Amino acid sequence: MEAEPTIDSGGGRSLEFRGGPAASAIPIGLFIVWAVFQSGVLGIGDTSGLVVGMLVGLIAGLPFVRGDWKTYADAIFEGMTQEVAATAAVAWLWAGMFANTIQAGGFVDGLVWAANAAEVGAALFPAVTFLLAGLLATGIGTGYGTTIAFVTLVFPAGLLLGTNPILLFGAILSGAVFGDNLAPVSDTTIVSAVTQDADIGGVVASRVKYAVAAAIPAFIAFLIAGTTMATTDPASGSGVTSGAAWGLLHLIPVAIVIGTAVRGRHIVEAVSWGLASAFLLNVALGFFDLVDVGVSDVLVFMAPESSGLATSLDTAPLLGAVVETVPAGEAGIGGSLYNGAVGFFPLIVLTLLIVAGAQIMRQGGGFEALQSWLLDTVATTVRRAEVTMVLGTAMVNAMITINTAAEIAIAPYIRTLGRRFNINGYRRANILDANTSALGYIFPWGGGVLAGYSAMQTLPEEYTWFTVDMIVNPAAVFPYVFHGWFLVAVFLVAAITGFGREYVSDRESEEVSRV
Amino acid sequence: MSRFDAFFEGLEFRTATPQYEPGDELAVIVTGRDGDDALVRIGDTRLRLADTDVAVDAEVRIRVTAFDADDATGEAELL
Repeated sequence: MEAEPTIDSGGGRSLEFRGGPAASAIPIGLFIVWAVFQSGVLGIGDTSGLVVGMLVGLIAGLPFVRGDWKTYADAIFEGMTQEVAATAAVAWLWAGMFANTIQAGGFVDGLVWAANAAEVGAALFPAVTFLLAGLLATGIGTGYGTTIAFVTLVFPAGLLLGTNPILLFGAILSGAVFGDNLAPVSDTTIVSAVTQDADIGGVVASRVKYAVAAAIPAFIAFLIAGTTMATTDPASGSGVTSGAAWGLLHLIPVAIVIGTAVRGRHIVEAVSWGLASAFLLNVALGFFDLVDVGVSDVLVFMAPESSGLATSLDTAPLLGAVVETVPAGEAGIGGSLYNGAVGFFPLIVLTLLIVAGAQIMRQGGGFEALQSWLLDTVATTVRRAEVTMVLGTAMVNAMITINTAAEIAIAPYIRTLGRRFNINGYRRANILDANTSALGYIFPWGGGVLAGYSAMQTLPEEYTWFTVDMIVNPAAVFPYVFHGWFLVAVFLVAAITGFGREYVSDRESEEVSRV
Repeated sequence: MSRFDAFFEGLEFRTATPQYEPGDELAVIVTGRDGDDALVRIGDTRLRLADTDVAVDAEVRIRVTAFDADDATGEAELL
């Protein structure tokens, strides 16, 4: 009988810890405890807070190092300089600028206009909202942003029609899941592709089948629930923005980004084309007075009015479009390029620190120990390996409720487990991202649910007819995030039946030169 | 392959034990070692590369030299 083959991680241990390899998990372990306490227990969805949690974790690991602490510090630098973190950072910065620029051009207003123009009744409204929220999230790539925009703008419109508020919130969250999962400019899509050595365009194309397989039953479920679940009396009063149809033209830059990415162009190039076209569209829409948008909504230098030079530039012909004078205390840079990029700074720093923590765990042997246990006892066949990948991703997302952070933490395990069975990069990226996207919007303590809940709490101030008891409790909505549930179910079925499974030898990911 | 085909790649139920024939050339990841032999596991199919000095996790091209379809096991050589 042949001996059970050994698996060598190839990493090589260079860090020794008091307490053995398990102690190398202290930085990441402490971070997870911090994340559970911050986001799960206290409901604080602040990414910068997680940055501090990871920093504290890295410091806490130091006293356990045997020998020179310099090796520990070196491991932090080695982790932070890995290409995966840099690639994700670059893609996020571009995606953030693009998403903010199409929002500045009235894309959300356009979708609200479409919802009103369709003149759907209270029963159909959740199903239509699911489609439109899915469309917005696919365009701007942020499920949190979509949730906040739709809760602020579309949710009140639905209540005015008498739509069931819990079901409507579930439909908005479902749309957010759809886009977070599918959009090439979504942070979770980018992380899933980059960590699994696959190109983003190929990943998006390969995951359409799963997204559609979940979206069709979800749409039907919203149709059925919309007609069977009790509706409320239409709220009287108005004040909901009717929106402008012209904002829908921003579907063109969205199509350009998706089209160029799927055609195999680098994501930086694809998003740059989308950004350029969105900018030109904004200028045209503003020039013809179709949407209230100008060049200064994309980029503006707000200089102190005390500066004589700034005052003269403010009135200059070309530069005047991007220079404004403001009271000294408000000086700064603004516009969609600035806000879009800056919005990702905390996540970028967090990512750098998490990969540093992962590197310490790798060099200290903790990563290898956990991985060997998984491979020896749990993931013993390809079906069990894929089910482990689905459930493992789901479990980590239930604990770390800011889904991108959770995805970065679990990604190395998905990569190793999958590669041990020659599962190709597209399939691994799809398992990783679908369950990350779904769970972040299902659990009551999930970042997406909390983002929507926070936005909802501002509505009573905004609309006189919106009463506090119209606010949906996060604990009530989770059964109705139909697309999220169906997406997890699709992947469990896919893991068991082999639907969509691809091996490395079936199709090589176009990994090396581009993302 | 047109770029459109990328949407339909993998749209099937793929077996846990892919079958190969002698002469098939594959791009694979080395998944384990057993003494001097390198092992390649593709799903639940196992291929053995006798006396092959290649590290686990390396991405290599191989040629299948023998395959037992009933057992889903076979032998291969490095290209």
